[in-house]
Amino acid sequence: MGIQEQYRSEAAALLSSGEVKLVIGFGAGSTADRRRPLFARTPEEAQKFVLDAACIANLSTYLLAEGLLSDGKKVGVFLKPDGIRSVNILISEAQLKPEQVVILGYAIENGKDVAALEGRNISDFSIGEKIRNLTPPPHVIEAAEKIEAMSAEERFEYWKEEFSKCIKCYACRQVCPMCYCRRCIVDVNQPQWVSTSSHTLGNFEWNLVRAFHLAGRCASCGACDRACPVNIPLRLVNYRMGKEVRSAFDYVAGENSDQKPVLASFKQDDPETFIL
Amino acid sequence: MALFAPVPETLSTQGFRMAKIGVFVCHCGENIASKVDTGNLVKALSDHPGVEICNEYKYFCSDPGQETVKRAIRENNLTGVVVAACSPRMHETTFRKACAEAGLNPYMLELANIREQCSWVHSDKDQATEKAIEITRSLVEKVKRNNELKPISVPVTRRALVIGGGIAGIQAALDIAGAGREVILVEREPSIGGHMSQLSETFPTLDCSQCILTPRMVEAIQHPNITVLTYSEVEEVDGYIGNFKVKVRKKARYVDMSKCTGCGDCIQKCPVKKIPSEFECGLGNRTAIYTPFAQAVPNVPVIDKNRCTYFKNGKCKICQKTCQIENCIDFEMQDTFEEFEIGAIVVATGFQIQDTSVYGEYGYGKYKDVITGLHFERLASASGPTAGKILRPSDGKEPETVVFIQCAGSRDPSKGVKYCSKICCMYTAKHAMLFAHKHHDGNSKIFYMDIRAAGKGYDEFTRRAIEEDEAEYLRGRVSKVFEENGKLIVRGVDTLLGKPVEVAADMVVLATAIVPQPDAKEFAKKIGIGYDEYGFYNEAHLKLRPVETATAGIYLCGACQSPKDIPDSVAQASATAAKVLGLFSREQLEREPVVAAVGEATCAGCWGCVSACPYNAIEQKEIRDRNGNLVKEVASVNPGLCQGCGTCVTFCRSNSIDLAGFTEKQIFAEVMAL
Repeated sequence: MGIQEQYRSEAAALLSSGEVKLVIGFGAGSTADRRRPLFARTPEEAQKFVLDAACIANLSTYLLAEGLLSDGKKVGVFLKPDGIRSVNILISEAQLKPEQVVILGYAIENGKDVAALEGRNISDFSIGEKIRNLTPPPHVIEAAEKIEAMSAEERFEYWKEEFSKCIKCYACRQVCPMCYCRRCIVDVNQPQWVSTSSHTLGNFEWNLVRAFHLAGRCASCGACDRACPVNIPLRLVNYRMGKEVRSAFDYVAGENSDQKPVLASFKQDDPETFIL
Repeated sequence: MALFAPVPETLSTQGFRMAKIGVFVCHCGENIASKVDTGNLVKALSDHPGVEICNEYKYFCSDPGQETVKRAIRENNLTGVVVAACSPRMHETTFRKACAEAGLNPYMLELANIREQCSWVHSDKDQATEKAIEITRSLVEKVKRNNELKPISVPVTRRALVIGGGIAGIQAALDIAGAGREVILVEREPSIGGHMSQLSETFPTLDCSQCILTPRMVEAIQHPNITVLTYSEVEEVDGYIGNFKVKVRKKARYVDMSKCTGCGDCIQKCPVKKIPSEFECGLGNRTAIYTPFAQAVPNVPVIDKNRCTYFKNGKCKICQKTCQIENCIDFEMQDTFEEFEIGAIVVATGFQIQDTSVYGEYGYGKYKDVITGLHFERLASASGPTAGKILRPSDGKEPETVVFIQCAGSRDPSKGVKYCSKICCMYTAKHAMLFAHKHHDGNSKIFYMDIRAAGKGYDEFTRRAIEEDEAEYLRGRVSKVFEENGKLIVRGVDTLLGKPVEVAADMVVLATAIVPQPDAKEFAKKIGIGYDEYGFYNEAHLKLRPVETATAGIYLCGACQSPKDIPDSVAQASATAAKVLGLFSREQLEREPVVAAVGEATCAGCWGCVSACPYNAIEQKEIRDRNGNLVKEVASVNPGLCQGCGTCVTFCRSNSIDLAGFTEKQIFAEVMAL
């Protein structure tokens, strides 16, 4: 039995036993190399699940649909390690209850092979090496290094150019599991802190505010990157922030679900004397 | 007592009205007027939308100046006031009071700081004027959006906690208790008394330290308003001024305080006798069950768990067998915790002396007869290991020549500390004197950098050491101390003669630097006060608020703030008591209404603010519908605990928290006006 069949029957079993009310996975997409989310509520629907190397989206974002988990019932979800990290962060930020999430974990190795991940509860994954050492694909690191090598002026010009493409569609926000605020700061207009026009200032304001809001919280799934209709390499910004947080605080977002928000917690041995 | 006079309802500006702002430009004598063209500033602001009246004056903080402001408020029905003058830290209260007296809510005032942030830091008058206009304009835009606020009343628990039972802590406790308020005095050692109990005689009067200290120790423990907790440490401090919650760990003494009579039989019989006594600085020994010194208060021994044979091997219990009282010595005793509600905290945690081993060239630790000033105190003390005879630690012989090295650590940025330890000049003179009194043929030589003897009777005291007791002062530093033929050769320089000198000494006394307690920084973080680069605790203002910390309700006295002698420590302790009693003079405390509030509609309940809040002021709150079903959980700020720092506001991603007095709308308007 291939992994796809195995996961189909597991999803079907979860649904038929009544353990979960819904399984979120992947179904066939519009083209052969694209997958779209599939929400299965019956064992029969679970037979439509697809699991292959094209299943790259981070489905954890759908767990946050308004009212989905308010009845206290469980939901199953197909997650890669980055998605598992997202779930860890969401639990640590009180947006999910760990007992409500049943994980059908998988990993994509070498960009083509799909492997099963052991465990069903988030606690089964908390300290896994695969979570800690999750790094973005080599081409992301390569691109990031190229930008890091630039001078400050060159870098500013680079991002000015990239951000100038931004049409403020907020697809990056919609697809990101960390953007769960019911009202985003960009929608605050009394006062209007973030200008919504597509000029240099407005473009920087939005994209940098998002970068800061994701510092120490990004699971590095790359969803924003894929969602952007004008191909701004958003992932590089978040990758860089994650790197900063890791080197300054030895903190990897989503490593486990007991983490405290890195930018809002203090330690007795913090070197700054202004921390009382 | 209210912060401000109550505003009559009829004059209240609550509700919407067109902005009528008064702007008052202060010259501050020449402070502002010399660098800012105040005439231009007035002209520019007069034309600003919403400004009803704009005046300038030499000193608006003066009586006639304040009258002008009050009259303008009344005559023009002003809705807000901007005083363009100094920092709000200087005169915000002054002008808020003036506003309140004229019937305007005091929080409808803003101070535009055109002195510290403008005239003082710029030299070009045109540019400074332009900046002053912008600063003032932005505050006008802010004040237009100010809301009327009312001070928050919080109850005051009229019980004080004094941390540290040295002379400073004892004095503070006695003064507070003497005024009829309850005091909890916490000391981590087995006895109160602190460093002062280790001293022999005290400068500049040469009265015996124990003789003047022990009556105060006894008074403290017998005082009906003072609870003395020795061998105890403060574990946690929560809350805020008037309403602290303090958890104290009472370390297991293994001796029942309520039963022990202090007979000392257990100490006599304890077989572990060769433990270097901390109190004697290692010059004498103590047993495993011990009181640190004969006059200890309370006179109840403790068992040193790490040294006791029973705790190490499970056998012995000789002390228990000796003790005449049943169950008085209890090896099963555990640390216990007690919680107290406290209104004010006095920190008097004292000091330590610097470890002199950094001065390898002085041979401390290598030669037994190179000792510190504190060692000398024990040698000179009648209660000390030599019963007051100055004897060499190495062979117990009386030294003929004693060399004292001042600033052995102090005023030495390279190896020691940068600051002056303040007491060493005086105690070294005292040591030389005591030596002369006890050993008439002995001679003492003192290497010094300067003689700092500022204080009542201090200079006379050092002169007496030189003139009557023949202490020989050599101005210069010592480069090396080494042993030769049973003598300690002190090699140094006499800079007044410009010659190198060598003295063959029998004993060398180092005036080591005073440093903070080793755990001073950790403790400061635990209770929430600031400290300097060394770990001395920071006062709110060195000159004007020297005994308060930046944390309201926590006060400082003694050497934990900076090196201090006994008179200064005692004076400062009484000053803290005055502050505490001032706070305790009322049942309610009025606090600034600058507190945060959460917009419950948009709060996502991520609890980032809960974790970010340094004052634990944010709680979780359930929102339920009319049928009692849980809709969601949101953050909620306790206004009694909130200090208005704004950390939560900056942290909140959905922008759901706002700070009264500094709302987003106010700040935004301020920024956009620039």
